Amino acid sequence: MTRYASPPVFYRTAGLWRPWMGLATLLFGVPAIVYGLYFAPPDYLQGESYRIIFIHVPCAWVSMFAYVAMAGAGAAALIWHTKLSELAVLAIAPIGAGFTALTLLTGMLWGRPTWGAYWVWDARLTSELVLLFLYLGVIGLANAYGDSRRGARAAALLALVGLVNLPIIHYSVRWWNTLHQGETVRIFGESSMHESMLWALLAAAMAAKFYFLWSLLGRLRLNLLIAEREKGWVARELKLESADA
Amino acid sequence: MHPLRKQRLIAIVALLIGLGVASAFTLAALNENLDHFYSPTDINEGKVAEGKRFRLGGVVLEDSTERSAETLEVSFVVTDRIENTPVRYSGILPDLYKEGQSVIATGSLENGVFKATEVLAKHDENYMPAEVADAIAKAKAKQAAGGATESMQ
Amino acid sequence: MELNYSLAFGAALRRELKLAWRRRGDLLHPFAFTLLVATLFAIGVGAEENLLQRAAGAVAFLCVLLALFLSVDGLFRPDRDDGQLDHLLTSPVPLSLLLSARLLAYWLIHGIGLTLASPLLALLLRLPAEQLPVLMLALTLATLGMSAIGIIGAALTVPLKRGGILLALIVLPLYVPLLIFGSGTVAAQASGEPIAAALYLTAALSVFLATLAPFVAAIALRLGMD
Repeated sequence: MTRYASPPVFYRTAGLWRPWMGLATLLFGVPAIVYGLYFAPPDYLQGESYRIIFIHVPCAWVSMFAYVAMAGAGAAALIWHTKLSELAVLAIAPIGAGFTALTLLTGMLWGRPTWGAYWVWDARLTSELVLLFLYLGVIGLANAYGDSRRGARAAALLALVGLVNLPIIHYSVRWWNTLHQGETVRIFGESSMHESMLWALLAAAMAAKFYFLWSLLGRLRLNLLIAEREKGWVARELKLESADA
Repeated sequence: MHPLRKQRLIAIVALLIGLGVASAFTLAALNENLDHFYSPTDINEGKVAEGKRFRLGGVVLEDSTERSAETLEVSFVVTDRIENTPVRYSGILPDLYKEGQSVIATGSLENGVFKATEVLAKHDENYMPAEVADAIAKAKAKQAAGGATESMQ
Repeated sequence: MELNYSLAFGAALRRELKLAWRRRGDLLHPFAFTLLVATLFAIGVGAEENLLQRAAGAVAFLCVLLALFLSVDGLFRPDRDDGQLDHLLTSPVPLSLLLSARLLAYWLIHGIGLTLASPLLALLLRLPAEQLPVLMLALTLATLGMSAIGIIGAALTVPLKRGGILLALIVLPLYVPLLIFGSGTVAAQASGEPIAAALYLTAALSVFLATLAPFVAAIALRLGMD
């Protein structure tokens, strides 16, 4: 376990895994998007406009999953003070913010034909917007510290504070205003999406997750090189790679 | 007692008291009614005063939509299958507005008519191809018919 | 050496209150700020009475929220500049205990202070008289939670040169539930609905935040200072 937390080992292992993540993204993503956007049958009520679900929902899942992952890395950073988990917080934040922004954008495009407005102050939209602000706060705090390790720890603590507050924010906004439909895919019990659409949604979700991992590993590798630029292994690693090329 | 232990004990007791009070308040809140839209039945029971803004939720009654030829005036009836409330609205209805589907309208009562300033369609959580939806509807109708004949026998 | 924690807490609290009293003129600034925002809002909306009156509760709540936010940056910054903060950090008394005294003082001075000043705000915004007690009650409860969030935000940003927009980005999103429940209480009263649920939720959230905030802020201060 601790062996993988050592920067050079992690750097090399991540480099081995990363292409497979990229491949998996394409393998799941291309059929899901092609099928979802062109071949899947139109919805009985929403017609063609529901197709954006194949992009919107996977992005929304990753935006929340990434936040939990970031807070998890933050907890590890605060408890064990490992450099890798600090870097993970910094690496996840922009990816999560990107997915959150994409969720909001696709949600707005979907909202226009279905609800009649680009933006409604509904529970999930509002929570997602607050989530974006939380991500931006984490990124901003980390950047504001000149010293990246202290900045990373402060950002980690903020991520944890946000994690405790997220359910409260979500619940409060829901109490305030609810319009969004219920959950479509349930982990337990029967899901209320027809099979002909469901597989594409799940495949798209897998693709989004793999893309997240692919992007995360890339960012982590780069951040590791920058953070450890004084160390011998970085020089050796880079020379090795340039010799290979 | 060892000072560090004492310090930890005080911190834990303070945490427990604070969290306990917070949960007590939450439980008290959950015991209250958190309903936030009214149904036509609520309106007929006089739970909402005239002129006060509130949200009306229900299903659009079949064959109740009447559109004005020249203006954007629309009137329809919202029902909870027990009572009905007539609604008047001026504006473009969302695509998902359909008779037999749920809507949430914001506005106020004027002489028993709900004057909506905003109508939002609430789409359900089912996604399926149109043929499947038809098939389900047919199967349900058949079942209902079958049940009726059985009960007649 | 045995430490008497309640004595230390009392001393820290007295110090904060005394400092605030010595500079009591400064307390007028946030109050003037609330009146300014209310004035700008009224001018922006126009003289249409109905619109202003309907929004009065929420606007009054927002004015106080923004004024309270403005004083967050001053929670630790003066202490950092004159070295007091290092004393806090090296004190044998647990940091979280000192911070809870500071939180209590901050709430009493700024939260309760702005709440007591809110009737004038309500007058300007033409808030119906029967809503005023509910507004003040909701503000009393919600400002406790806001103070707790503020102390965490201030502790996280104290090593930086300026809090500024970053502090807003950290603190304001976390205010959301308190704003919803707090101004929801006033809105419920305005539309003749029971206010108990919203009031209980405001109280629950504020107590929850105030319980955890001193510990979180203590961790944040130590992180920033080592």
